[in-house]
Amino acid sequence: MSIDKELREELRQAADSMHCPPDLYGRVRQSYQHYVNEKRGRSPMKKRMLVGIVAVAILIPSAVFAASYLADDIFGSSATIEQHGGSQEDYQEIEGMLQAAKGKLTEDEFKEYMELTKQLMQLKLKITNENGVKHEEKLTEEEQRQFEQLASRLAPYFDKINGTVKP
Amino acid sequence: MNDKELLPWLEKATLGDESAFQLVYQATHQDVYRTVAFLVYNKQDIEDIVNEIYMRMWRSFHTYDPKRPFRYWLHGITVRQVQDWKRKAWRRIRLFERNRQMTCEQFEWTDKAVLQSEMKYEMFCLVRQLSYKLRVVVILRYFHDYALEEIADMLQIPVGTVKSRHHLALKELRKRFEMTGGDAYVH
Repeated sequence: MSIDKELREELRQAADSMHCPPDLYGRVRQSYQHYVNEKRGRSPMKKRMLVGIVAVAILIPSAVFAASYLADDIFGSSATIEQHGGSQEDYQEIEGMLQAAKGKLTEDEFKEYMELTKQLMQLKLKITNENGVKHEEKLTEEEQRQFEQLASRLAPYFDKINGTVKP
Repeated sequence: MNDKELLPWLEKATLGDESAFQLVYQATHQDVYRTVAFLVYNKQDIEDIVNEIYMRMWRSFHTYDPKRPFRYWLHGITVRQVQDWKRKAWRRIRLFERNRQMTCEQFEWTDKAVLQSEMKYEMFCLVRQLSYKLRVVVILRYFHDYALEEIADMLQIPVGTVKSRHHLALKELRKRFEMTGGDAYVH
């Protein structure tokens, strides 16, 4: 008998005597069910993910546009202080200050603070020329009194913002 | 049941039809189990691998090309899964232990039926002693009747390598067969 034929014959017979253990069925079935659950569970999950991504994609730009500069409320735009010898960095610095104030003051306090600062800044802009040099004599007596009044009313807020007063 | 009849069931099974799963399992499990049992000897490992093969079957059914025979695809998965397992086993450095167990005398870890067939079939016993690389070629060639080119494709190695392994395996078998007296299977 040739070795080829012999091999074929013996392997076939040996295979016939090997039997897959019946309890293996339970195990394979279990992993099959696991597979099915995974497959079914995955598609709604994917949908939820997609909806989430779309929602974020819409929210991020609108949030960026909504978060305008606090300093714009006071000056209108950075162009205003540039006309008075200020730079973009100065503008950012003021913005930083205002943001810090917003964080430290209550809502009502902040509203008043913004109002007072706005008035004060308008006076300051008036006395400052395009090179950033101050000419306090430009103010009328009335305006000078107003200036001092504003400064004194703002003082407690500055203390609070700078952390010198414990709330 | 032939391949063509099995395919629609397999597709249903991958979509979650449990009765289709049962049918596919019934139609294929002996073949899968035997193929793995020819290549791997530890009973627990065989069962692990068979389980993994079925998982792979569901998961990669979409890659199956219906123009090719189903069994060819199935055996491809089987061989790759066994090879994956071998790689993992190698990493755990369990191979040394396994090599020691490859002699014909130590069969306490296989089931009784195999043990009996070992006694009866001298040639089969010799095949079991071949190294894995040679053995897988012998099994695919003589148990599943694949051409050497098909075996090369399945194992993802060059045809020349398959040819030399095939040649080497037969040479080895002949040599060992003569050493054992050569008449063991006459009885």
